[in-house]
Amino acid sequence: MHSFLAEIAAIAVFFLGFYGLITSKNIIKSIVSIGLMEIAVVVFFLSLGFVDGIRPPIGLEMAGNVADPLPQALMLTAIIIGLTVTAINLTMLISLYRECKTTDWEIAKKLRNRIRSK
Amino acid sequence: MLSFFAMIPIMIAIFLYILPSQRIARALAIVTQLGLTCAAFYVFFLSKQGDVITTIGGYAGVLGIILKADTLSSVFLLLTSFIFLVVSVYSFRDRGNKLFWFFLFIWQGLLNGIFLTGDLFNAFILIEVVTVVVAVLIMLNRDNRSMYDGMVYLMINVVAMQFYLFGIGYLYKLTGVLDMNAATQAAQQLDPASLVLPFALMMTAICLKCAFAPLFSWLPNAYGTPGAPSAVSAVLSGLHIKASLYLFIRVQGVFEAVTVPGFFLVIGIVTAVAGFVLAVSQSDVRLILAYSTVSQIGMIVVGLSVADLYANTGSLYHTINHALFKTALFLSAGMITRAYGTRDINRIRGVFRRYPLLGVATMMAVLGITGAPFTNGSISKYFIMSGVTFWMSTLLIFINLGTIIIFIKYSWMLFGHPEPGQKIVKIDGFKQAAALALGIVCLAGGIFGVQLVEFLFGVPMSVDVLGYLEKIALFAVSGVGGFLIYKHYISKSPLFKRIREMEFSFRWMCVSMGAFFAVTLLVVHFFQ
Repeated sequence: MHSFLAEIAAIAVFFLGFYGLITSKNIIKSIVSIGLMEIAVVVFFLSLGFVDGIRPPIGLEMAGNVADPLPQALMLTAIIIGLTVTAINLTMLISLYRECKTTDWEIAKKLRNRIRSK
Repeated sequence: MLSFFAMIPIMIAIFLYILPSQRIARALAIVTQLGLTCAAFYVFFLSKQGDVITTIGGYAGVLGIILKADTLSSVFLLLTSFIFLVVSVYSFRDRGNKLFWFFLFIWQGLLNGIFLTGDLFNAFILIEVVTVVVAVLIMLNRDNRSMYDGMVYLMINVVAMQFYLFGIGYLYKLTGVLDMNAATQAAQQLDPASLVLPFALMMTAICLKCAFAPLFSWLPNAYGTPGAPSAVSAVLSGLHIKASLYLFIRVQGVFEAVTVPGFFLVIGIVTAVAGFVLAVSQSDVRLILAYSTVSQIGMIVVGLSVADLYANTGSLYHTINHALFKTALFLSAGMITRAYGTRDINRIRGVFRRYPLLGVATMMAVLGITGAPFTNGSISKYFIMSGVTFWMSTLLIFINLGTIIIFIKYSWMLFGHPEPGQKIVKIDGFKQAAALALGIVCLAGGIFGVQLVEFLFGVPMSVDVLGYLEKIALFAVSGVGGFLIYKHYISKSPLFKRIREMEFSFRWMCVSMGAFFAVTLLVVHFFQ
């Protein structure tokens, strides 16, 4: 695989996720779309500086063509953050669902504003 | 040493949470805040001699992760410590939610981290975590409305941070570093055309976090939500948004080669006007204050995007002033809404008669934000206006007229007679003291304004007496004009009632973000 291909794929998946955010009214789908964007960014970072025959930066034998370890270390952190945020989003969705009995952005907004106008 | 500013509040938060006695815990909290403020002063004095740098992990240079306190960051550090000290005093006697204190301290540690970090990726992590903490604080009272507000806040900010991370990826690909200083140097060697994409990606994210037009629709609900304690709203509107502005300044520094100054000038003006129109049409006390934050942020951005030392320094001073008076306004609004049992501005009257000290605190902050003579707002606005061209300063006078109209509407509640039958509530002395202290700082910041600017930013400034007198006259004229416009036009026009009902849904926020990204990309590509 070429790093250029991975970059194109990352951009495509990123904006696919963004398209999902724009088009869906469903909160669950929005959370899934954010997850897609996160994955796209991870793929993009891992593709940085990739060339054929490169070795992972693990172990003691660091001789030869070794991949840049920094993006990989960053992405470990980013994946953890993404996981946490997704978990918190889903938790919040559950409490919102208990209050409003809906997973639709528009209905939730209407319910919220009805209370305000009271 | 600087890492303690991030660590100690978090340690204290955990310690306070497990301490059985709430009373002792809170006293301890305030003592810690005092200590942190003193430490921030110490760092501030050190940073005057040169940047204070701490390397974490022991790798020096671009390989390691550094915390750095230069003049700008240490001023913000000082501001953070002071605001959190005031807010802790304010909440001292609140009926106990342990979680509130826990998250408040963690919040402080993370904000300190954002102000100190010299690394773009670390800034990403800190902002992401602080977003989660703030979302939890917004929903603290599990009110039906704040569920939705917190959810929108968290999700739109997470989407924005994905843009930011993507931008960091591109920047790393081009420069090979994440350190802000090293990235600035590396970016200067590059062809500006190649930096357009990372610039647009990162700026879209930061503009959303700073609530520039058209990306501010998430802010009012989150910052003015009824579910959160008013201390949370105060810190959000006063301090939290300044962290985004700080990042805006830093990232703009990294992309020195690509910046299009006219672009942010236009955005600043649109933000200021939009914030004014929306603030005037609200009737909820907290929403008025939240939208006026948007308007003030617009003014700050105008001052920051002009290539003039006076305007830039004035803008930074206004950032700090805004933190002071907006916190004072939110804290006093919290007491007023609790005392009257309503958030509707049309039903609150006669605060001066009932709660004179509270009225004085509100009035001092209102004078500050409208730029009345001899308050801190007047000094910073004077500096901003003296640094821009004639047409720009005329425009800024009109924007300030908008602010005056907002706060004429707001301070309407201070006068008149309260509705009969409302109970008189005893107001906590700690809360009043906190709000009053902030109000007095606002006045002191005006009287010693020039000296204070020189002390904080190390930039010698001077106020031209004739020019200042002219500004005083202008303030008087716009005060009277604003009063007449409000009385005869705005309070009667049905247009503003219709504007109040307008609100973006989550999908439209995403659409506007995408549009903002596309426009930034095109504008920077063709006009740089």
